[in-house]
Parts: sequence; C-alpha cells; structure tokens
Amino acid sequence: MLTTAQERKISLLSDTILYDEAVTLMRRISPLPTSQIMGLLNNTRVSSYGQLYAYIIHQRDRNWQDSKQGTKVFYTELEKVLSQMRKKRAIEEFRLLTPGLNSQQANLEADEVMAALSREFIQHLVAENNLRAELQRAQAPAQRNRR
Amino acid sequence: MSTDQKTLDYDMKVTREVSRQAEVFYDEAVKLGDHAARAFGGSKEHRSQMTGLETIANSTFKTTDVFDYVKKQTARHREWQQTDAQSGAPNESFGERLLKQLQGEFTGKADGIAKRLGVGNTTDEDKQERRHIHLLLMRVFIRQMVVQYEYAASFGNTRRRG
Repeated sequence: MLTTAQERKISLLSDTILYDEAVTLMRRISPLPTSQIMGLLNNTRVSSYGQLYAYIIHQRDRNWQDSKQGTKVFYTELEKVLSQMRKKRAIEEFRLLTPGLNSQQANLEADEVMAALSREFIQHLVAENNLRAELQRAQAPAQRNRR
Repeated sequence: MSTDQKTLDYDMKVTREVSRQAEVFYDEAVKLGDHAARAFGGSKEHRSQMTGLETIANSTFKTTDVFDYVKKQTARHREWQQTDAQSGAPNESFGERLLKQLQGEFTGKADGIAKRLGVGNTTDEDKQERRHIHLLLMRVFIRQMVVQYEYAASFGNTRRRG
C-alpha cells in the first residue's frame, strides 16, 4: 500500500509533470475515437499495473486495419512512456520508491506506484484525446462546407 | 512568534492576495458566466453541470482534475462547445475559454502571488504551495462565474451588468 507521502508526491507529479506530458503526447498523434479509448480508462480503474500493461501490449500488437493504424501508434507511444517510467523515472527522477527493499518487495512497490502514476497519466491522456477528437469532429463539417 | 501564529499570518496573506486577484478577474468571470447562461440556458440538467464543476473544484486537491473535467464536459456536451458572438472571442467555445482562463491565466497569477509571498519553486513543498494557490484562484473564479450564470439564467437576463 502506498504511503501518504507517496500519494502526495504522485498527486503533485500529476499536476506538475504528467499533465503536460500527456497533452504533449496527444499533440503529436491523432486522437482516437472516444469509444476506442474508454476501455483503456476503465482498465486503469480495475486492473493491477501488470494487467494494465498487458492490455496495452495486447492493443499495440493487434493486427489493426490500415484505417485504424492510429490506434497502434497510440498504444506504441503509451507503452514507451510507461516502460520508461517504470524502469527509470519512478526511481531516479520521481524518487518514489523506498530504498533498501529486497527485489520482490521493490517490484511490488514499483507496480503499486506505477498503477497510480499510469492512472493519473491516462486520465489526462483520455481527457485531452476526447477534447481533441470532438473539436476535430466539429470542425470537419465546416471544412467540408468551405470546399 | 509561534509556528501557529506564523502559519496564521501566512494564510492571511494568501487569502488577501487571492481576494485582491479576485477583484481583478471578476469582470472576466462575469463574462464567462454570461457566456454559460447563453449557451446552457437555465434548465435543471444544465444547472447541475455548472454546480458539478464547482463541486469538483472545491473538493479536489489537484488543479488538473478541474482541467480534465472541463475537457471531458466540452467533449461530451454541445453546450460546452457553444461559441458566443457577444464575447470578445467569438470563435472560442465556452469550454475552451474556461480552460484557457484556468490553465493559462491562473498559472501566471499563482506564480506572481507565490513570488510576492517568498515561496520558492524548487522543493516539493514550494510546488505544493504554488498549486494550492492556483487551486484557490480557480475556486474563487469558478464561484464568481457560477453565481453570474445562476443570476443571468434565472432571470433570462444575459445582458452585461451595468
């Protein structure tokens, strides 16, 4: 279970770092239809980090049709962000893990920390995605009318 | 001076700074409240969206929870996407205007207050305090905006105050 200090730190990181990074990521790639991304958000609420990560890998490696390559790009980028966070940033940059734990304890703690970090990151990602998808959809008729 | 007294003094200074800023951005809150009234009207369902925003702002400790809520509502509801020909930014939807105000404007204002109060920007405690100030500014702004929305929507009066 996360300590109060860890929860406070994750909440701060969510506001000061993860939000901006989620917005920046969504600006680099095309938004997904809202329906396609809600499964991801639901997974952050009910799954362990291991299960969530497996879901992301599964989505990334699916044989997507050409018209849905954007989904593959999205999950590829998300997997990169989370694996970097798990291997390096949670320890060195965010300093969220307790020093001196044995490897089994450290892995358990890292998974709990990552579950919380990814929940925050994905919440920001989904909010930005849905806003951009809707704005794009709303602009499309206007652009068609101008042609 | 005791630690309690120092904390009390500091809290008073924060309250005074936030109140001062509230005077400065009051007109903008009124404009957005009017925009909301024109976009939403006064039905019960729409009123609950505005009070929902206020509840989120008052109950969370994270500024980004409010940003995400505004984005979610803007993506989901047509009213949040309504532009307002009478506003100074006729191409911007209500949601976009609100987000711009809460994110952009208030980050600078919170930093200004923090600087005046001698709050740094390096330790986690400093950053926690800066976002606390940011959150206080947002809460006041949203309260002002929702009050104006209620007023304008109740009377079907969306004219600017005289």
